[in-house]
Amino acid sequence: MRRVLASALLAVLLCAGLLAWLSRPVTLAAEDLPGHRPDAAAGERWFWAGGCAGCHATPVAGKRARGEALFRLGGGLELETDFGLFRAPNISPHADDGIGGWSAGDFVNAMQRGVSPAGEHYYPSFPYTSYARMPVTDVLDLWAYLGTLPPVAGEVPGHSIRFPWSVRRGIGLWKRRYLDTGSVADVPADDAAALAGRLLVEGAGHCGECHTPRDAFGGLRREEWLGGAPSPEGEGKVPDITPSGQDVGGWSAADIAYYLESGFTPDFDTVGGSMVAVQEHLARLPAADRQAIAAYLKAIPPAGQAAAGD
Amino acid sequence: MKHVALFLVLLPAFAAGPAGSADEDTRERRHELMEDKVGAAAKPVGNMLRGEAAFDADVLMASLRTFHEVSGEFGKLFPPGSEGGPDSRAAPAIWEDRAGFDAALAEWRDAVEAALAAEPDSLDVARPAVGPVFNACKNCHDNYRLEDD
Repeated sequence: MRRVLASALLAVLLCAGLLAWLSRPVTLAAEDLPGHRPDAAAGERWFWAGGCAGCHATPVAGKRARGEALFRLGGGLELETDFGLFRAPNISPHADDGIGGWSAGDFVNAMQRGVSPAGEHYYPSFPYTSYARMPVTDVLDLWAYLGTLPPVAGEVPGHSIRFPWSVRRGIGLWKRRYLDTGSVADVPADDAAALAGRLLVEGAGHCGECHTPRDAFGGLRREEWLGGAPSPEGEGKVPDITPSGQDVGGWSAADIAYYLESGFTPDFDTVGGSMVAVQEHLARLPAADRQAIAAYLKAIPPAGQAAAGD
Repeated sequence: MKHVALFLVLLPAFAAGPAGSADEDTRERRHELMEDKVGAAAKPVGNMLRGEAAFDADVLMASLRTFHEVSGEFGKLFPPGSEGGPDSRAAPAIWEDRAGFDAALAEWRDAVEAALAAEPDSLDVARPAVGPVFNACKNCHDNYRLEDD
């Protein structure tokens, strides 16, 4: 009997050990970083492509930030989801309340591995699953750019997440399944614009985070890449933006680029909902970037036929 | 029993009353103005600004006059009680922040009047003149129109 108990205990301990090992935060060491001198001016492009201000700029009088307020990244925006309430943290360069005390390696690990400087997993509401596809040098440039913005005092309270999602360590298992630095959609190897667009859409732009439906565990269903999804904030839906879509699918590449620049659809209706802020940020990119995004969206397979990636 | 009878007698009156009537007509009217008049007038102008269509001063001025005409009537189509409606995308903010809504409409009208006064005879004149008109569309929709679903 005692032997049985001992074996059972050993089995439980082994399982627990295995789970702990599987769910551990995986990070990059400082020596893994490329020798790159961060260029803040180049990083501004990733700031707008990534729409950092969309979540992290502190709302003004209960409304989303605009104009100069876009540069005050004190956080505080709340995102109500099926998993609980997320609160965007302070990522201004404030030494205590923001990320002013971080090293370059801390920032890369947050952006590309979803791990905090304290070694905890971040929830994928922070779309590191997309940012993981950015070249590290671009992430370092972005880090340098964020350092030029004004420090904002004030710590944002943590998220209020429901069980079992409240067990942060479990995110480690989730990442094993869903954190993939490879590209998602195949585009012709000789289409330079579409390849550049892929980096923007699948990486910094993190378009798939809203435009791709999620499974029961909150992971993206790659076989329906950019094929439209229910709004993560409840009501409404986010459109299919692949060539199969009934709306955007019928637009030309020039229509898409113009929409991202001006906020007007080919019918000259205006952009709506959460896309307003996204569009206003993308409007600040060089025109070639919007054309690249459009070229990619025209080059990918219609939703439902996306390749599993490389 | 008497009450039931009374209820049955009054039921059609209620059913046909507020629900079907003035407010629904108001909602329909504002939708018609925005979609069929403003939307239809915006498209050729937008295509000119985009370079998808040749510049045509007459078409541009006609569209601006349509905007001007609608901008005078539009604000009156949101009386208290006309909130909601199954297909309405009018945001509650219109009634909660009436002054802000009126200001957004006034911004539109002012921009249209300025563009009309400029009498653009080329794309180079039209672009800066019409830009604020389109911006006004965007601002007002952003704050006072619900997302389409």
